[in-house]
Amino acid sequence: MDEWPDPAVDYMQAIVDTKLILGHRYGQWALAGPSLEDDIGGASASQEEIGHVRQLASRLQAQGRDLEWIHGDRDATEFANAACLDSIDGEWPTYMASTAPADRAAWYLLDAIAIEDLQGMLTKMGEDEYFHLEYHDARLETLAESAPDTIQAALETTLPQALSFIGPATYDEETDPVFTSGFTDRSVAEIREAFIAHYTDLFEGTAVSLDGVDFDAPDPDTWDEARRRVGGGSISEADLRQLRGTENKLFEIN
Amino acid sequence: MKYEVFARINQGDETLHIGNVTADSDRLARMYARNTFDEEDWDYLAVVRREHILEVKAETPGVI
Repeated sequence: MDEWPDPAVDYMQAIVDTKLILGHRYGQWALAGPSLEDDIGGASASQEEIGHVRQLASRLQAQGRDLEWIHGDRDATEFANAACLDSIDGEWPTYMASTAPADRAAWYLLDAIAIEDLQGMLTKMGEDEYFHLEYHDARLETLAESAPDTIQAALETTLPQALSFIGPATYDEETDPVFTSGFTDRSVAEIREAFIAHYTDLFEGTAVSLDGVDFDAPDPDTWDEARRRVGGGSISEADLRQLRGTENKLFEIN
Repeated sequence: MKYEVFARINQGDETLHIGNVTADSDRLARMYARNTFDEEDWDYLAVVRREHILEVKAETPGVI
């Protein structure tokens, strides 16, 4: 598939934007963790996510997207990142309950891509992602014991946002335009089922209840296909300046 | 809990003690070890709970 259909380009753009903001958030929190090991893990994950962005951005460029635009030369409302990464208002447990669902959702979308010439790159990314997701789950398990109320409250917001990033439940094998185009080998509905089952299993038997999570989100009638979310919202202008390196350009040596 | 970390670079090499990590679970200890000792492309990396290490040393024989 040399030329991707428009919904597939938007699908990949949302993955790239989510990885870009994930890398940014991991970097921002890399010195704020409760242990040196958590900090090192955050710094490592940040580098890997930005590495993935560089690889995937070149594929988007080949589909006609401008590289500078991808790297941040655009309005905040043009980013299609998972909404749970827009801002993280809270402490470490909230950060974990915000980044973990976004990272897992982005990997599930990436893993579903069926384009043959991307498979080698996706396999390598999967090796990195295994450690991201395993770390998140291990950390969420311990936080489910030490801070269950905070984790539960955060997940009631972030899991529906991650599900909105994956897509609406009505996108099945007959209606999901990315699947029907052959770009992915499983529909949004199937990806959602795997995502929901994972978190249901992870918190089963813990003090964290997911009964208050809206697992039906998003409403397909108000879902924004390009930004993979509902209700607007975006990263902040301060985030955007950091992504662009605006202030650091003052120190650029010509 | 404290965990001791062991690794080897190549298959057939000796497995060496390379450090330790502190973690709240075995699962988390594995991830901490991977993140913290990421400077090599290890052939083998393992963690052992410090309390599970059995020291071998001479002790006073019991008497009947």
